[in-house]
Amino acid sequence: MIPAGSLLCADSLYKTYGRTPALDGASFSIHPGEVVAVLGPSGSGKSTLLHCLAGIVTPDRGTITYAGRELSAMPDAERSALRRTEFGFVFQFGQLVPELTCVENVALPLRLAGARRKDAERTARHWLERLEVEAVGAQRPGEVSGGQGQRVAVARALAASPKVIFADEPTGALDSLNGERVMQLLTEAARSANVAVVLVTHEARVAAYSDRDVTVRDGRTRDLEHAG
Amino acid sequence: MTLLEHQGVPAEAPPVPTPPTGVAAWLRDLGLGIRLAAGGGREGWVRTALTAVGVGLGVALLLTAASAPHLLHERSQRSQARAESVAPGGPDAHARKSDTSVLRISAESEFRGRTVEGWLMRADGTHPVVPPGVARFPGADEMVVSPALKELLDSSEGSLLRERLPYRITGTIADSGLVSPGDLVYYAGSDTLAPADGGHRIAGYGDPGEGEEMPPVLIVLIIMICVVLLVPVAIFIVTAVRFGGDRRDRRLAALRLIGTDVRTTRRIAAGEAVFGALLGLLTGVVLFLVGRRFVGHIEMWGVSVFPSDLVPDLRLTALVVVAVPLTAMLVTLAALRSVVIEPLGVVRGGRDRRRRFWWRLLMPVAGLAVLGLTGKVDKSAPVDPYPIAGGAVLVLVGLALLLPWLVEACVNRLHGGPVPWQLATRRLRLSSGAASRAVSGITVAVAGAVALQMLFAAVGDEFNRMTGQDPSRAQFYTFSQKVTSEAAARTIKEFKATKGVEAVIGKVEVYVTRPGTYKDDEIQPTTSLIVGDCGTLRELARIDSCKDGDTFVVHPRNDKELSDWVDQTARKGKEVAISDTPGGKSMRWTLPADSPTVVARHDPLGEDSWGIMATTGAIDPSTLPGATTQSQIRVDESVEDVAEYVRNTAAGLDPAMRVSSVKSVARDEKYASVQRGLQVGATATLLLIAAAMLVAQLEQLRERKRLLSVLVAFGTRRSTLAWSVLWQTAVPVLIGLTVAVAGGLGLGATLITMLDKEVTDWWLFLPMTGAGAALILLVTLVSLPPLWRMMRPDGLRTE
Repeated sequence: MIPAGSLLCADSLYKTYGRTPALDGASFSIHPGEVVAVLGPSGSGKSTLLHCLAGIVTPDRGTITYAGRELSAMPDAERSALRRTEFGFVFQFGQLVPELTCVENVALPLRLAGARRKDAERTARHWLERLEVEAVGAQRPGEVSGGQGQRVAVARALAASPKVIFADEPTGALDSLNGERVMQLLTEAARSANVAVVLVTHEARVAAYSDRDVTVRDGRTRDLEHAG
Repeated sequence: MTLLEHQGVPAEAPPVPTPPTGVAAWLRDLGLGIRLAAGGGREGWVRTALTAVGVGLGVALLLTAASAPHLLHERSQRSQARAESVAPGGPDAHARKSDTSVLRISAESEFRGRTVEGWLMRADGTHPVVPPGVARFPGADEMVVSPALKELLDSSEGSLLRERLPYRITGTIADSGLVSPGDLVYYAGSDTLAPADGGHRIAGYGDPGEGEEMPPVLIVLIIMICVVLLVPVAIFIVTAVRFGGDRRDRRLAALRLIGTDVRTTRRIAAGEAVFGALLGLLTGVVLFLVGRRFVGHIEMWGVSVFPSDLVPDLRLTALVVVAVPLTAMLVTLAALRSVVIEPLGVVRGGRDRRRRFWWRLLMPVAGLAVLGLTGKVDKSAPVDPYPIAGGAVLVLVGLALLLPWLVEACVNRLHGGPVPWQLATRRLRLSSGAASRAVSGITVAVAGAVALQMLFAAVGDEFNRMTGQDPSRAQFYTFSQKVTSEAAARTIKEFKATKGVEAVIGKVEVYVTRPGTYKDDEIQPTTSLIVGDCGTLRELARIDSCKDGDTFVVHPRNDKELSDWVDQTARKGKEVAISDTPGGKSMRWTLPADSPTVVARHDPLGEDSWGIMATTGAIDPSTLPGATTQSQIRVDESVEDVAEYVRNTAAGLDPAMRVSSVKSVARDEKYASVQRGLQVGATATLLLIAAAMLVAQLEQLRERKRLLSVLVAFGTRRSTLAWSVLWQTAVPVLIGLTVAVAGGLGLGATLITMLDKEVTDWWLFLPMTGAGAALILLVTLVSLPPLWRMMRPDGLRTE
């Protein structure tokens, strides 16, 4: 059943890698502008759930609905187009194209969606400024710090005006101070743009930035509303 | 003693080991590198395996090349052993008849483009000499055949050839009697062969001669082929020892963290490379030995070799064994000079340090200077191979050195463009060295090949002779020394009845003399008497009207003196004498008085015949003593195997009848075999280069697996990434091919000047450049499936 007003919703997802079950009937939903943290120990199926929700991986069974459309039934090209135009991504590491400058990295999703180079880079600079890393725009990822790189990745995720951002351990490779700042900027920017954020983490400190937690254990999900 | 007092006394410190220095330090660090490579887990082994396979392929090719001297020597020895021994009177003298002598005639033929060497033999006595590899002299209607011929005759493919060789197979020729395993050879026994049929008497086998000297031009070509084929192999080995270098550098950073200094780290890296190279050496030896076992079953462009001939030269092998690990070590040390390995990561120094142009230009210029100073190749003096090979190596290696500078200079000027183009050019800008390395092999190979093509074209006129033959009027011609009764008529009749034959120009020819007695200092007037049907005679002379029974006096064109000489014998209404041997018993024949005089015309072989021409109704060709028969045959080339039908008919008429193709250009056999050798070698080199490029491409993709997954995750089209990979390969290849064409043309022109020839065609680079471009496309296409696989989301999984 699809919860009323939800933007992205998954119901009874099953996914197996070889003989290892990754998802075993997991369900999930998120509303526009909502930040939901997906928590769980290593190997619990958090990332697989995120990959299924983002249309990167197709579940063996179950349904995923995005804005009223059945995601799991879409062909690969359509899902790719959706990821390009409606979704944004932030990963733990290795996500920026090393040979492009930071501005070009942020502009990349826009250019892939067909935007002109100059327009794409203007938007990219705006987001770099909002994420407080405009100074590194001309530098390549290898020349900036981990925290700056992660902010560039957040700017890239937000640049194409997505409806949902999928963040997989976005602060996993950062120190606590940098991690806090990245989370602050990510959630603030997302909320102000009414963007939903699916945040996979195993850190309670990071999950604190979310509106709601979903715990994954042995491939199954459990919803937890935040008290505050 | 108090504790304080005790503190004052220095405690005996444990002895600090003195670190080894000099050679000992080198050995320790290299050893450590080898241990790291051997125990580096899966990643380390993948890297080592890539290097080992790459180096192994190169080493296998080098060992094959090192076998060339032994191979050529053995082949030459066997070839000479089966040649007939020279009779005491010189090469053209016949041996004396004895109990061991043999009468033989060549019955060489061709089957679907392959030469079938054959001899008809008749023993003079009871103990005839046998050719090498033959156990027993074949009896009448028996033959011994080479294993390849036996296989062909036993197969359905060889059924047409079986018709031509109807003899009973009584044995096979051993390897000692063959030049190569693919040779099609037979020795057939005969009980009718006579000297009158063209039989030649021999006393034994084995030509101890030195063999013919290679012309200097061909020696230059061979030197160039060796250089052109082996330099890319060496470059490939250099490239292979750097496979997985990025990953290794990161591993070395960890060593820096635990306190190793920069020098030690580099030596450890060199040790890792040496390990890969040593494994590669081993792999190469194994590949060579395994390949050697199967080489006897492989035939390329008619070239095959016996495994026993593939024995690498000891000195060359030693050179390979020493040079490969040494190169690996030096290349790694040189490569690490532009890399700063810090404890927390690797910084590539090459990015900021611009490559210098001037010293890279030195080498090709020096090469051209060496070639220029060598001067012209003297056709009468032996060729000194060292300056030519050295100059060519300098030019070709110099091109490979120029390439990184050019690639860097070009990609730094490439801006903007669509996403795939941007991704590709930026990637190239960041690692132009790797991109240049990947294409340096093909650059050198194409440059060398362009130079060789130019050389071949320029010297072609020395080895390709215009025959003046006209293949549009006839495609085959036959020649037989055997004239039996009705032979000429039968020859023509049977060829005409052969499947696919459209027309036959068949003539029987004897020499005729003017009867009479002549003084010693007088030359007896002599001319030819040619007998054929009207159709044949019209092809040989400008005859307007002809009917059976007619005769003609034929004058050569535009040669009054020779025409007068013909008329001295061909006197209308007078007799001519026909005899098979000078002074032998002759027959007389009267040339009819009404014989018109006509002028000769070129026959399809481009030859003119003159003298007396007579139709078969005027003189019976079977009565002519010592006559020879020649037929020129026009066929319908659309009929499959028409050449084989013609040859079968010829063999049925006379097993020793020679059937040759009418060709407008005749190629020198040595020149042709050098060109064949180049084809075989170039194929092997190009395959090696393709393998190297593929490995380099896959390695780069593997390095970027996670990034590719991320790009796909945020919706990048696969086609975008595929185009990016294609551009990434195509841009350096395009630059490389441009360098190759320029360098190849320069090198080719210099070598041609050395040979005192002129460049005949500046556009000869097009086929090789096309082949190079096709190779790139192939490599890109082959690397697409792994690219698809690496774009799977598995790359995003971190757990």
